[in-house]
Amino acid sequence: MSSEFDLVIAVGLGFFFGFVLERAGFGRSTKLAGQFYGHDMTVFKVMFGAIVTAMLGLVVASGLGLVSFRAVAESAASTTYLWPMLIGGLLLGVGFIVSGYCPGTSLVSAASGHIDGLFTIVGVGLGSLLFGELYPRLEGFYLSGDIGHQFLFDLVGVPPAVLAVGVALMAAGCFLGAEVLERVWTRKRFGTVPAVIETRPRRLVFTSFAVAGALGLATLLAPPAAPEVGAVATWEPIEADQLARRLLDEPWKVWVLDVRDRTDYEAERIPGSEHRAFDELDTFGLQYSPGVKDLVLVTRGGLSSLPPAAAAYKGQVYVLEGGFPSWQGFALETPPVLTSQDSPSRCAAVQFQVAVHRMVTGSEAPPPPPPATAKFVAPPKKKGGGCDG
Amino acid sequence: MTPAPERPAPQPFWNPYIAGVALGLVLLSSFLIMGKGLGASGGVNRVAIAAVDAVAPAHVDAAPYLARVKAGGTHPLDSYFVFEVLGVLLGGAVSAYAAGRLRTEVVMGPRATTGKRLAFALIGGVIMGVAARLARGCTSGQALTGGALLSSGSWIFMLAVFAGGYGLAWFVRRQWT
Repeated sequence: MSSEFDLVIAVGLGFFFGFVLERAGFGRSTKLAGQFYGHDMTVFKVMFGAIVTAMLGLVVASGLGLVSFRAVAESAASTTYLWPMLIGGLLLGVGFIVSGYCPGTSLVSAASGHIDGLFTIVGVGLGSLLFGELYPRLEGFYLSGDIGHQFLFDLVGVPPAVLAVGVALMAAGCFLGAEVLERVWTRKRFGTVPAVIETRPRRLVFTSFAVAGALGLATLLAPPAAPEVGAVATWEPIEADQLARRLLDEPWKVWVLDVRDRTDYEAERIPGSEHRAFDELDTFGLQYSPGVKDLVLVTRGGLSSLPPAAAAYKGQVYVLEGGFPSWQGFALETPPVLTSQDSPSRCAAVQFQVAVHRMVTGSEAPPPPPPATAKFVAPPKKKGGGCDG
Repeated sequence: MTPAPERPAPQPFWNPYIAGVALGLVLLSSFLIMGKGLGASGGVNRVAIAAVDAVAPAHVDAAPYLARVKAGGTHPLDSYFVFEVLGVLLGGAVSAYAAGRLRTEVVMGPRATTGKRLAFALIGGVIMGVAARLARGCTSGQALTGGALLSSGSWIFMLAVFAGGYGLAWFVRRQWT
């Protein structure tokens, strides 16, 4: 479910996405397929150029403190499932060279009136339905190789900005190499030399990359704002329904840490929560966490004062009001039944609770229907007159 | 009668580097405004499921992977990426029209035949439909979005796409060269 405003933005972003793809020539299968025969490296240049642009842009925005690279990465990129992504990629490449499009470019192709693009869209739809039908057999493979959110900068062990600059440098080298290949293959295949490529746009783009990369690195040198000692030790209570709403709306922004006993946690817990026993919190290194997410502590009952380790957390700290029992009452026990006297706001609240209850417990039983509010009686029969039948 | 005016030659495509930066700026805006990337196959998937759901809803309910998109009573089309796909179609059509490239045709290599080209377009699409669900995204959602965010899985996916394409290119060369 998305808000209407989000959907308007979605159409707008999609519009520019489609517009640029068409302008790049990606509505024509012959141009796209040229990538795989060496004489037209447009796909590679556009795709890699876009990746470097967005990556460096995000690095700069992150360096200036507008967003956090990691927070965006965790919300917008899917988690890594090694094997299905490898095999899915190989298959997608095969489908690409057979159809001449990828799913996104087939949309643009059909929108420019190309029948082959339309056929490919239909194929993509059929293929995804086929996957849905085969899912029970493929599920094991689909879920294999799960290594969670895995990012290259963590693998290398450097800040995102450093790796981004490295990738940009590699891209620049690859672009130059791609142009050499284009010349070689065009001569070999068509016996001609490609039309002189304008070098001005390339110079312009390379310069912008260099500036953005330098800016991204420069922000790393600025010392991070030192946390003020003793000033952060504030926390706010959060109700179970607010927590459920946040877990649904922006799961990437909340980090639920369960500090009850391990056995309690193993028996029942909030979906997606992590466990760390209360007395082990000090050894957990919470103060070193980047503090991007809001930390929500789940206790056995209430909490009188925040443990020092949690107080040192850089981000916002919440404590679940009433502890786990309040979550239990909200999400795990059978929700209340609505009556016709309930106000609309209570109806909405209970309906949300029912939805969460069903999601968490997996109960498929529909909520009992509200009692009828009005009685309908048959209208009195008309007498006489034969023309109204 | 005057002869029909000749169709003006379509505008040339953008320089690939400029197009790349433009595409990157769209992606960056998406990150900054919505905290999401771009996508294509996910939206098509939902439209396909909605079509089946309109004809045979019981069938969708019986397949767990298909039924996911209507969990909690939402309509399969009530999704961000369905509307984004709608935008892609609009943007592509407007761009093609403005550049004088909007025309009905089958785009194919010099040695290909129409029937075979369309069959290949359909079959390739089916393969990609399965592949994109398996990999949790296509070249837009996985390679472009995840690639810019330096996600390991997305880079593996991207390299695999090129490997798959180059690996099979020789076998289908008659379609394209």
